[in-house]
Amino acid sequence: MPADVASPGPAAAPGPLGPSAQGPGVPVAASGVIHDLGYRRYDGKRLGRAQIARALCWHSLRSAFGIGRGVKAKIVPVITFGIMCLPAIINAVAVAVSTSHARIIPYDTYVPALRVLVMTVFIAAQAPELVSRDLRSHVLPLYFARPLRRIDYPLAKLAAFVIACLIMIEIPLLLLYIGTVMQAHGLSAIWAQTRALTPGLLVGLMWAAVLAAIGLVLASFSGRRAYATGAIAIFFFLTWTLARLLSHIAERVGHAVPVHGGPVVFKAAGTIPAGVHLAGLISPFTVLDGVREWLGGTSSGIIPDPGGYGVTYGLMLLVLLGASIGALIGRYQKVGIA
Amino acid sequence: MTAHASVRAAAGEPAGGTAPGTVIETTALTKRYPGQVIALDELTVSVASGITGLVGANGAGKSTLIKILLGLLPATKGRASVLGHDCERGGEQIRALTGYMPEHDCLLPDVTATEFVTHLGRISGLPPTAAKERAAESLRHVGLYEERYRQIGTYSTGMKQRVKLAQALVGDPRLLLLDEPTIGLDPAGRASMLELIGRIGADFGISIIVASHLLGELEQICDHIVAVEAGKLLRADTITSFTQASQVLIIEVEEGTARLLEELTRRGLGPRPQDRAVLVRLADETTYDAVRDAVADLGLPLNRMERRRHRIEELFRDDQAEPSEMTGAADAR
Repeated sequence: MPADVASPGPAAAPGPLGPSAQGPGVPVAASGVIHDLGYRRYDGKRLGRAQIARALCWHSLRSAFGIGRGVKAKIVPVITFGIMCLPAIINAVAVAVSTSHARIIPYDTYVPALRVLVMTVFIAAQAPELVSRDLRSHVLPLYFARPLRRIDYPLAKLAAFVIACLIMIEIPLLLLYIGTVMQAHGLSAIWAQTRALTPGLLVGLMWAAVLAAIGLVLASFSGRRAYATGAIAIFFFLTWTLARLLSHIAERVGHAVPVHGGPVVFKAAGTIPAGVHLAGLISPFTVLDGVREWLGGTSSGIIPDPGGYGVTYGLMLLVLLGASIGALIGRYQKVGIA
Repeated sequence: MTAHASVRAAAGEPAGGTAPGTVIETTALTKRYPGQVIALDELTVSVASGITGLVGANGAGKSTLIKILLGLLPATKGRASVLGHDCERGGEQIRALTGYMPEHDCLLPDVTATEFVTHLGRISGLPPTAAKERAAESLRHVGLYEERYRQIGTYSTGMKQRVKLAQALVGDPRLLLLDEPTIGLDPAGRASMLELIGRIGADFGISIIVASHLLGELEQICDHIVAVEAGKLLRADTITSFTQASQVLIIEVEEGTARLLEELTRRGLGPRPQDRAVLVRLADETTYDAVRDAVADLGLPLNRMERRRHRIEELFRDDQAEPSEMTGAADAR
């Protein structure tokens, strides 16, 4: 038996590895010398545009996590993903050891500040990996000289990066769910957890779509990785800081800032000035959080409840998403092929 | 017209053999960029299968023509078709059948040649396994089989050019559009790249358009030449009619070129030196005898004596092969 375990190496190797599958036992060409071994036509299946776009998407998704690249390319994705999963792991431990077996982290917000920070780092580092590289090395003419249309490239990249961001956001949520459910007693408890998880996953989808679109469009304007990374990091941090700062100022001033002349509707809790609400429209993160609360998010997030401005947040989200995708597509209509 | 129809029929089923006939056809093709810059001006040309050189100075409209042919740029006026597909409407079909090698650097430095060419094979529409096999085969054809697992960034300029050619070849195209394939190469690299292109055209059954501003190169490998200048067609013809024999005799001796010059001058043949050879105007058959006698009298080892061919550089000149004018027929680079 042990002999059997050791032997498959030589037995299995020649089959799939040897190039003999494609040439009739031809000698390998010596370095730098061109040997004419006969040209073979390709008569097999050819994929259509949609399938090619899917192949590009898959390739881009892999590169978003540094798969198929060197070790260096995997550092940021692995570390950010690890950090993102930490709260879920801590929760699993806490649920297991506590007597109440209660979940300590909400599904709809996860850990807000951590998520903002980690996603900013992930997008700033990985969005340029998807688009700036191709710009920098002028690879685009090679893509556009193939059956793809111009719109296919940005859409494939966007789909790939949205999926990458989903992986970053949703897998920790699923770990959170699994860690909690493992200690749950009874089907009703599991069902309650599942019901609580669903809105969290939908919020994650919203995050992934908006952040990926903004990150890619910012990255697509520079072929230099450092510039692209810097632009994304500065945009996310600056708007985030500004939103919080203005929100604080508005709170201090304590007066409602009249906007659009419309009636200012306060929630029952009372005295939050409108400026506090509206400051949240500056940053994608606060917009996302505002929409979450507007749609019925229960946990306290990174901004106060937007109150009557919920619709404004919803519209802002659509504007952000639409403008980013539009700009991304527009960018690749113009970029030269030679 | 009938030739055109047969190309159309063959292109309908990619598995069919190369149809002899027209590969590219343009009719009064005009491209005007904003600001009244005219890149192509009423260009009407028909390109047969085989290797065709597209000659013109920088800015003559070669790149614009290639972009229109790939269906990536709409023409302002006129029509163009490639392999029977209209460029305006059939861009995707054309690009599925065409391999393009850009003039500029277009490679990712931090991936291996195999990964790069395999990925672009996928984008050409090959399924995963086929893309891998054809990438290996393309790299073998361009002579990079041994180095294919090295990162492209570590390659020499010549090797990079070959990767560019391999990615154009990976999708098994019916037509290759090569934009300045020898740019940046040293003379040896240039020669081997040209040899490779010649081989692909002759042995692989793939039609090739080679755009170049170096006329001397195209002479070596092309069946046809299309010369453009300022977006207009200068001349389109077979290479033989471009380089027909001229009335000049070229003589090369192993040694004693100076003595031969002296002797020929004495015999009133009016010789002119060119590089290490001697040019003599061919009056009639007696010129051959006179040269032979001169060489024999001096006892020099004769290497070569033949009628000199026109170089296609002379296309762009008004004078025609006067020995007195021919001393500077060197390569443009």
